[in-house]
Amino acid sequence: MTGAGVLDSVTPTQRQPVLRCEGITKAFQGVHAVNGASFDVPEGRITALIGPNGAGKTTAVNILSGAMRCDSGRELIGDTDVTNWPSHRIARLGLMRTFQLSRELGGLTVLENLLAAPAQQAGESLVNVFFRPDLVKRQERAHAERALEVLERYGLYELRDNAASDLSGGQKKLLEIARAVMASPRILLLDEPMAGVNPALIERIGSYILDLKAGGVTVLMVEHNLNVVEQICDYVIVLAEGRTLATGRLSELRENAEVVKAYLGEVIDAGSAR
Amino acid sequence: MVYYVFTLVFFLFDYFILAMGLNIQYGEAGILNFAYIGFVAIGAYFTGVFALPSSTGTGQHYILGLGLPFPINLLLGGLAAMCFAFIVALITLRRLRTDYLAIVLISLSLVLYDFCNNFVSLFNGADGLFNVPEPFAKSLHLSTNSFIPFFACVAGVISLLLWFVMSRVMRAPIGRTFRAIRDDEVAAAALGKDVFRMQLKSMLIGSFYAGIGGGLLIQFGGSFNPTAWLPGETFVVFAVLIVGGVGNNIGAFVGALLVETLLIHLPAFLPEIPGHPGLIEYFDNGVVGVVLMLMLWFRPQGIVPARLRRTASFGVGERRHSAPAVAETSVPAA
Repeated sequence: MTGAGVLDSVTPTQRQPVLRCEGITKAFQGVHAVNGASFDVPEGRITALIGPNGAGKTTAVNILSGAMRCDSGRELIGDTDVTNWPSHRIARLGLMRTFQLSRELGGLTVLENLLAAPAQQAGESLVNVFFRPDLVKRQERAHAERALEVLERYGLYELRDNAASDLSGGQKKLLEIARAVMASPRILLLDEPMAGVNPALIERIGSYILDLKAGGVTVLMVEHNLNVVEQICDYVIVLAEGRTLATGRLSELRENAEVVKAYLGEVIDAGSAR
Repeated sequence: MVYYVFTLVFFLFDYFILAMGLNIQYGEAGILNFAYIGFVAIGAYFTGVFALPSSTGTGQHYILGLGLPFPINLLLGGLAAMCFAFIVALITLRRLRTDYLAIVLISLSLVLYDFCNNFVSLFNGADGLFNVPEPFAKSLHLSTNSFIPFFACVAGVISLLLWFVMSRVMRAPIGRTFRAIRDDEVAAAALGKDVFRMQLKSMLIGSFYAGIGGGLLIQFGGSFNPTAWLPGETFVVFAVLIVGGVGNNIGAFVGALLVETLLIHLPAFLPEIPGHPGLIEYFDNGVVGVVLMLMLWFRPQGIVPARLRRTASFGVGERRHSAPAVAETSVPAA
């Protein structure tokens, strides 16, 4: 059970893939971090990207978001071939991401982190700043309204004027998601959004992700916590040694011997070894 | 006495402009421009050759010699520095970041210095440009003594104008995007910010300020030569900015006052210590270095630290004081 086509055969409601990667490879000095991974991410669904450590999940996310170039393979957003496009161009197509280790804009306030998020603002042009101040002001005001709404929804409103660098680890995770949401994404890549987060917050983040799905956002999340995957993810892509090992629903994958050996089994082994 | 005071005032305003230019590059966009003084020099030389008459018969060798009036020559000098910055940025900013960029830029500063020092027909080599016409001196019948206070005021007006422009840039979304890139390039790019393009903008704005600051220098003194812009001079501007407060224009002014005016130029007016010519000057550089280290150690944010939250001050945030706080543990229905 490998390859991109599997997903379609096992999904009861067929969905158009909004993000597709075909045979992506990436080697770091001979080590193949991603070695021909192919998968589709269906539109408007939450897809989990799981696999043992070193399977190439984060590298895949980095390549998909443009933070890293791949050696070969293709990446498509809708019908657009975006292989090896730089981050900012991919982001402008509506693909936003968060990072495994939070990358907050530390010198900015929480509110400014969100205000900085929308791409291609009028006020980023000097001509507009000096000759069309009304336009800049109007847009800025609209962004501020929206940013405060997002902050309220994510429970960060009270912290809006704090420096982002002063936030706690969990708050930074929330801020990253809020910032990505502020940029009105079509596709959201979340790299371990629950890592290092307490159970109450995990539940909260999970509900935020479900809200995003309800709003029509396509989510691809790297996640180790299988309970979370079971609860909120519609589909699962299993990566192992840089390849797509299997795709499908988690319940189906539990029956897959290869997957159990590569990932689930390893987790159980690690658990029993402790 | 008036001469001394207004010379100090001039340097205060000039270094205020230079520090603001460096601030938009280093303080805002995070570009470690170790070639900053090179852009100042380009501005100074071009302001000079735009003002000077044709070089034939002047005993100097230089290009252009257009005899343009002030402030047109100054403006063009600033634009020349900007053009130079554009070329430099195209080559360096695309590929290099942080320390690597700094190393390349300081090398550029050295190369530029050697080039101008030895290539006589460009800007008169080591002798530099001199006899640059004093702005308005003829039309306003200013003597040498009255020119200095007059031009210090001109520099003051220009620096205020540039301060107004810079404050607006820093408060605008473009300033926020600069700071976003400074804080985390990867995250900013993931939000759709074209890092190269934005850093290029910051480089161009800063270099225009450098060019204007340099142009004012050559107009004030009437001459400019390579001893005025040894590559180490860049660090005087860094010292001004770091002591005053990186990321803050008021800090740039305070830094210009303390470092450039009080520490560097004021002692130059002290009487020489008999038998030790130039000792004060050398000692002076040491003092600047010590002050810089002490600041970095004890107060790295500078005397006037950068303010947090400079954008989005449209009162939107303040209107909602009564909004209910979202409890930390509340879980919206899934």
